[in-house]
Amino acid sequence: MASLFKVRIPETLIPLAPPVSLPPPCSCGFPCFLQDPSKLSAYRDRRFPGTQEEYEAALQASTTVYIGNMSFYTTEEQAYELFSRAGEIKKIIMGLDKNSKTPCGFCFVLYYSREDAEDAVKYISGTMLDDRPIRVDFDWGFEEGRQWGRGRSGGQVRDEYRTDYDPGRGGYGKMVQKELEAQRELVDYGGSFQPNAPPPYERGERKRGYGDRNDRGDYQRKRNRNDDRAAAEGSRRAPDSDPADKNPRFREKGDSDEEDDDYDKRRRR
Amino acid sequence: MSAGWRTLLLRIGDRCPEYGGSADHKEHIETCYGMLSREYEHSRDAIFEFLLECAEQLPHKIPFFGVLIGLLNLENEDFVKDIVDTTQAKLQDALYNENCDRIRILLRFLSGLMCSKVVAPNSIIETFETLLSSAATILDEETGNPSWQPRADFYVYCILASLPWGGPELFEQVPDELERVLVGIQSYLSIRRHFDDIAFSVFETDEGHSPNKKDFMEDLWERIQILSRSGWKVKSVPKPHLSFEAQLVAGNSHRLSPISCPPPNLPQTSSEILKGQEKHEADLKYPQRLRRLHIFPTNKAENMQPVDRFVVEECILDVLLFFNGCRKECAFYLVSLPVSFRYEYLMAETIFSQLLLLPNPPFRPIYYTLVIIDLCKALPGAFPSVVVGAVHALFERISNMDTECRTRLILWFSHHLSNFQFIWPWQEWSYVKDLPKWAPQRVFVQEVLEREIRLSYFEKIKQSIEDAAELEELLPPKAGPNFKFVGNESSETTDGHKLSKELVGMIRGKKTVRDIILWVEEHMIPTNGAEFALDVVSQTLLDIGSKSFTHLITVLERYGQIISKLCPNEEMQLLLMDEVSAYWKNSTQMTAISIDRMMGYRMISNLAIVKWVFSPANVEQFHVSDRPWEILRNAVSKTYNRISDLRKEIQSLKKGLQVAKEVCAKAIKELEEAKSVLEIVEGQPTPAERPGRLRRLQVYADKAKHEEVTTEESLEAKGALLSRALEESKAVLKLLFKRFVDVLTERLPPVSADGEIPNLRTGDQNVNSEARDLETATMEIDSENGADKNSEPNGQNTKNSYNVGELEQWCLCTLGYLKSFSRQYATEIWSHIAMLDDEVFVGDIHPLIRKAAFSGLCRFTNEGPQL
Repeated sequence: MASLFKVRIPETLIPLAPPVSLPPPCSCGFPCFLQDPSKLSAYRDRRFPGTQEEYEAALQASTTVYIGNMSFYTTEEQAYELFSRAGEIKKIIMGLDKNSKTPCGFCFVLYYSREDAEDAVKYISGTMLDDRPIRVDFDWGFEEGRQWGRGRSGGQVRDEYRTDYDPGRGGYGKMVQKELEAQRELVDYGGSFQPNAPPPYERGERKRGYGDRNDRGDYQRKRNRNDDRAAAEGSRRAPDSDPADKNPRFREKGDSDEEDDDYDKRRRR
Repeated sequence: MSAGWRTLLLRIGDRCPEYGGSADHKEHIETCYGMLSREYEHSRDAIFEFLLECAEQLPHKIPFFGVLIGLLNLENEDFVKDIVDTTQAKLQDALYNENCDRIRILLRFLSGLMCSKVVAPNSIIETFETLLSSAATILDEETGNPSWQPRADFYVYCILASLPWGGPELFEQVPDELERVLVGIQSYLSIRRHFDDIAFSVFETDEGHSPNKKDFMEDLWERIQILSRSGWKVKSVPKPHLSFEAQLVAGNSHRLSPISCPPPNLPQTSSEILKGQEKHEADLKYPQRLRRLHIFPTNKAENMQPVDRFVVEECILDVLLFFNGCRKECAFYLVSLPVSFRYEYLMAETIFSQLLLLPNPPFRPIYYTLVIIDLCKALPGAFPSVVVGAVHALFERISNMDTECRTRLILWFSHHLSNFQFIWPWQEWSYVKDLPKWAPQRVFVQEVLEREIRLSYFEKIKQSIEDAAELEELLPPKAGPNFKFVGNESSETTDGHKLSKELVGMIRGKKTVRDIILWVEEHMIPTNGAEFALDVVSQTLLDIGSKSFTHLITVLERYGQIISKLCPNEEMQLLLMDEVSAYWKNSTQMTAISIDRMMGYRMISNLAIVKWVFSPANVEQFHVSDRPWEILRNAVSKTYNRISDLRKEIQSLKKGLQVAKEVCAKAIKELEEAKSVLEIVEGQPTPAERPGRLRRLQVYADKAKHEEVTTEESLEAKGALLSRALEESKAVLKLLFKRFVDVLTERLPPVSADGEIPNLRTGDQNVNSEARDLETATMEIDSENGADKNSEPNGQNTKNSYNVGELEQWCLCTLGYLKSFSRQYATEIWSHIAMLDDEVFVGDIHPLIRKAAFSGLCRFTNEGPQL
């Protein structure tokens, strides 16, 4: 029965999902028999300031859901369109890379009602958003600080050690990228000297997932999205900068614009 | 075999590892029974509970559980008698609690038990007769209350619905009694009122009645009659008891204690309004489970006996009900029902009929989206093509589809495609770009593309239709802000640009909202006027908040007051919405979100939104775009969400107050008791308790009292909010209907002098097929009809043209939305119907308006059900 579904679940999530088996029945009434209790407790947030019981109670009552395995390019508006189909949305909080302040592949959606949050978990988890299977879990509630990635490099922990190439999440994992960069630097020093060439892998660029210059088909797609940004604020772009460096749906909060940072701080206070 | 008895019970009848992959039902039952009898000593009570739970929640396996219980009956008669008695008690409870699913399933379970000689056939007959006589009483004008016909229908429906399971056995054991029940049902059907569900039909015709000539009762009755005439042979119900007949006959059948039905709710008055309200209440309590949707031509769908179709539908609906939220199990059971024939087409029709069920499906539409996705994955060779066929068939008839269903179909289809890489043979529909812009097929394609872009992004969707590049003109503009005061050198000289720049500077400089308001009032309004100030302020703030949804709400939370100050009345709020709409003219989604949030922050009232949606610029769009309707739907639903949230809060506060009161009373009592314990010290009575304890008790009592008072206060506050919200919603309803009546009255073609109601669909060839045939026949003579000339040569004129005029389509569409709103909010409307009758539906209302509004309410007017 496990093979019934060919939904691609990212490998880092597999240990969290329980094996497919019918849970023992619960005695809580008519239609909830056979329901998967793992929905509530598949993941334990280690930063939760309380006991396991308190954690579960918070999950039981929460109207917040956590969305994982998102593309770095997915916008709040895309999430809004999808998640509003489970109910009226109160707030969306994008998870951001600590260093670059850019989306790093997760977000919180706050609903007004518990039932809507339940429906989001039941009906949206495992379906596609922006061509990726996303996961949706109950969350114990958003607090200031939880929007930042907890990985050493600023993003999510799962993106630190990942070894696959995932163009929607910045290419290779951070550790692999570092490795690749080190190798390339060796090559570069040995190669011919090009005085005016831009540094091949600048920080920002790599963070945005273009460390790999292979055109994997997906590259073209990002380029398209860059064009609309180019049209919107063409004058701000240096003509020789890598077009991939500027992604419209990506820079929203990464803008060095002071005003934005200020907004975020105030809002979350 | 290591599987536990619970797993064996759950998995019985499934081809699964627990049963070694075998599909032999007899073997399953033997294995499972063997395990149960071994475990019986240790786990009698657990088995008892679990068996009942399984029977109720895996109802498609009832025949297997029936045999298991029949076998247990041979050894453990008391145990089984307990099961029978408990089931009877549960049925009795369910009847009084009006729990429809439970009543239906327990009757089926009892039938299953009867097949395995656990329950006496006569007991089943008695139960049927009780239900039947209760149903007949309800319909009686004198002793009952015909407004509650939905309950009466439901009882009889349950009897009929259990017959595919119990009928064959009853026919064999007690044929005369069964015949008597059937005769009773026949006479019930002759006295009940036919249910014309025109307002709930997915497709409408212009003749004013629903395309299904038989209602759900008549339909099921016919299926059962055919079954009885063909000797009660039901292919779709497994009959495992036949393999165990030799053993089972030895069992002692148990008698069922008689059940009773709740007495009919007697009518309080004979007023038409109260009757209508009661009937509405009854319809809500006893909703129709399925409105069968015929999507596929009969030669394509599976050919099966009428009763088999019913049984498979029941099983599908039960799986959808009980496995809601368990994706894997749900898909597994849907594709592996214990029947020996294929049913993919039937399954698709059943799921689509749930997705499109009016007024509401049992679950959110997104659930059915998920089920369809999962079925496409579970049956990759069969189901996707069935879905494609269904979409094409529904698309063909989209011009006759109910407005609400169209919206659901658009949302479903765009979401479905987003889960399958947006792959769709668009070129087959590329002809729609030549249709007039109000043609429903064209609007459908346009709205699907709009929703696809919202779920994805412009370039991706543009690429997905590259095989049908003609359709590019149906794509919405690329989303992006449209800022009036863009800062560039040439135009920066206007006042607006300067002031806008200044405002941005103040915000960057972290000026307080109060300072900015002062600045607006001193520097802008006196010289340029309030409207100009609103223009600059709203455009500039929208621009600052344009980067994302979060930016928008941040700006509105921080600087919304400036806008509120400028928009103290509806007129200014209407202008504000014009500003939003202009700024976001390239993004329907952001327009809708912005207006929705502004209503959330109470910067715009719901009344203002209704007025704005019915303002001329939006009214012109009614038939060509979902844009104004989305905003209207949001506003009305937000109004009612507020009410239902308040009701919930009040409910929980009331509970809290009850608890607080009890705690308080207990604390005071304890304190009093402690105080009253006295002892004589030096001839004087003094408190015997230690002063420390008394102080502590005093603190507790004070705290509890305080808690009680604060809860009471917040309850009062919420109550006040609720009554305000209720007043608001009443005003919104009134305005909404008034505006519908106004715009429709202006545009509807008048009723002719001899009282004939205009037919808006005269041009629609899909509906007036006879008319079209006539027209084609007279083509030679009457060839000045341009449309026919153009499309006739390829013989596809029905496909490539749409002949309903723009004004007629506008009317059809607006009437459709009127019907959809009145159906969606029927409960609220019924509670204000007297006000609406007095203030909105007065005078010479066009009969088509009355029909649309009232059919949504299922309200019969004096002119009869046709109107």
